[in-house]
Amino acid sequence: MYDVMGIVYTSKDNLNLRELTTNRAVAALPVAGRYRIIDFTLSNLVNSGVRNVGVIAQKNYHSLMDHLGSGKDWDLHTRNNGLFILPPFLTRENGGEYSGLIEALRANFDYLRRSRQPYVIVTNSDYVCNTSFEPMIEAHMKNGADITMMYIKVRPEHLEFSSSVTSNHTYLDVAGDGIVKDIEVNPNAANFRNLSMNVFIIKRTLLMHLVDQAASRGAKDFDSEILRPYIESQALKIMGFEFTGYFRRIETIKGYFKFNLDLLDADVRQELFATRPVYTKTRDDAPALYRTGASVKNSLVADGCVIEGSVENCVLFRGVHVGRGAKIKDCIVMQDSYVEDEVEMENVILDKEVTVRAHGRLIGQRQYPIVIGKNVTL
Amino acid sequence: MTKKRCIAMLLAGGQGSRLGLLTKINAKPAVPFGGKYRIIDFPLSNCTNSHIDTVGVLTQYQPLELNRYIGNGAPWDLDMSNGGVFVLPPYMKAKSGEWYRGTANAIYQNISFIEQYDPEYVLILSGDHIYKMDYNRMLQAHIDKKADVTIAVRPVPMEVAPSFGIMNTDASDRIVEFEEKPKKPKSNLASMGVYIFTWKLLREYLIADEANPKSSNDFGKNIIPNMLGDGKVMMAYRFEDYWKDVGTIASLWEANMDLLKIPPEFDLTDDRWSIYARSPVMPPHFIGANATVEHSMLTEGCEIYGEVNDSVLFAGVTVEEGAIVEDSVIMPNTRIAAGAVVRRAIVAENCVISRDCIVGEAEGDIALIGQDTVLPQGYVVGAGKQIDNSVISGKEAE
Repeated sequence: MYDVMGIVYTSKDNLNLRELTTNRAVAALPVAGRYRIIDFTLSNLVNSGVRNVGVIAQKNYHSLMDHLGSGKDWDLHTRNNGLFILPPFLTRENGGEYSGLIEALRANFDYLRRSRQPYVIVTNSDYVCNTSFEPMIEAHMKNGADITMMYIKVRPEHLEFSSSVTSNHTYLDVAGDGIVKDIEVNPNAANFRNLSMNVFIIKRTLLMHLVDQAASRGAKDFDSEILRPYIESQALKIMGFEFTGYFRRIETIKGYFKFNLDLLDADVRQELFATRPVYTKTRDDAPALYRTGASVKNSLVADGCVIEGSVENCVLFRGVHVGRGAKIKDCIVMQDSYVEDEVEMENVILDKEVTVRAHGRLIGQRQYPIVIGKNVTL
Repeated sequence: MTKKRCIAMLLAGGQGSRLGLLTKINAKPAVPFGGKYRIIDFPLSNCTNSHIDTVGVLTQYQPLELNRYIGNGAPWDLDMSNGGVFVLPPYMKAKSGEWYRGTANAIYQNISFIEQYDPEYVLILSGDHIYKMDYNRMLQAHIDKKADVTIAVRPVPMEVAPSFGIMNTDASDRIVEFEEKPKKPKSNLASMGVYIFTWKLLREYLIADEANPKSSNDFGKNIIPNMLGDGKVMMAYRFEDYWKDVGTIASLWEANMDLLKIPPEFDLTDDRWSIYARSPVMPPHFIGANATVEHSMLTEGCEIYGEVNDSVLFAGVTVEEGAIVEDSVIMPNTRIAAGAVVRRAIVAENCVISRDCIVGEAEGDIALIGQDTVLPQGYVVGAGKQIDNSVISGKEAE
């Protein structure tokens, strides 16, 4: 599939993710013990044979750049093509933040023009799934579609965890033949059950044409100002492609918490990690060490952890220390955080490099976990 | 080609026959160690941490796994435009072509490789030891003392000295005598198999040694004694930190167990001297609701539902519910099925220990299961036994 390139649009910081995204893009949010959200997006592209990937960065892109580096870990450090980090283009009008996908794409026309692949997959990076885009690419070619959009049928349990968010959701009405008949952008109460995954494939030149036309008329929102008119007029053949696997969009603390704990389910791990490899930046930690007296139940533990206490239903990222007599339950503990002796924690998310001093006690609620920001000592 | 001050040549061609089934289809430097490493990660990481960025790896015996593992050298930052890591198998020349006949002959056959970098010094390493060493400090000592050869040595207990190459030195640490496995050692300074030579001189000796048909073309047997005989300046460089020869099943097992001690006898967590390894690209490991894991080392991709004590588990190992693993080393992607008990054993890569198997015993020698072995249900492997598929099928034929 060397004729398809990828554009990864990293969204702005999401207020619903509170402290977790104050200093990083959502795409750079650590998940699943050793990954960042964008690892799944990039691995999906690479596993689909895409070898030219542009990552459109926004305001807080330092941690994203630090993570992606040359793209080596995703095999995207090739002489031709490879990984291109596209930082915001600062001008008098643009303060380092795009008003939406249209502006972001318009600002990166040079990159699009330079690329050789006739097709582009444009994707957000605020969701987790493990898929190959090849079936969608094939369907797109076979149907002779102009745009093919990936969607999932929203299941009741999915609605439950995203109910607090009404924005950034696009729903599609997809007919039996796959044609998208109607579209709802950010509805309060959706009529359709097909949630757009914000992943679509299109001819590169068509994308540039549509974006240029829209941008020159001051349009900002891709879904409502480009897709909607063409879906209504049916002037372009816009098709839907259903994804039926495990998919979680990370947009609230609750959703973030739930997704991480979902990984304690063997079926979810199987689907997310066993089907195709998920690449990430390697850190060269030593393996995890379990000391005498450690008790770990139903937990995901990354390399570099040292565990002396008791851990239940937790996700521990790389380099986490759990001290003697500490009891942590239903917690997400990010990279290099240190939980000292006799600490008690429940329903807590510790960001990176947090220290919880000995005998500390932090008890959160399942529905509203305590979040401790990066680099804090308690 | 840019000139390099010092390049390293890593001797990785030996079979390592004392490791039995572990090296049946795998070269010794590619044998897994310490949960996520292979033996060769130690010398390669030492090189990169010592700023030695050009490394030739001389391979001969079962090199495929080793070649795949080294790849382009990226995990050790040895994927360079100028320098990097090179796998050097024996090759055909205009008039002849032959296998590496000994350690010195292996370097001799690669004189042209070395000359490309026009080095002042050449560091000779072997792929049999677990240690963290700053070769650059040793090189500095070599330069400061204007030595022709510097040999890293390590004090060993007098009673085991007869099994090493022993250096007898004068007060200034100049080597005055070298004895290979002496019955009555005069000193306890054992050679670590790490040499720095001034290249111009080594080149002369390699050529002279090659011209001698009676020579066995070996560093320990020929080159070192010859240089000593000619009165060259040969210095001992003392190294007192952790160093372990992992050339036998017992010592390999022991070195793995050393990682679990508190404080660790050998610390892998020091990020000033990281040991690099090729990533298996697997998710964090999972510990099930009814599992117990104590005093053990685990890495990515493990799925533990049973009981693990005092053990080192490599990437992708599964321990099913009701299985027990104790005092053991379980190498990548092996599955220990429900009801199986593994004690004091090394189980190599990609094995299946089926239900109710018993491998090893609480006392006695280490049991060994070779690579890719599928142990049939209920199979019993006693202490010190070595089993692989061919042993099993041979038995069944009886």
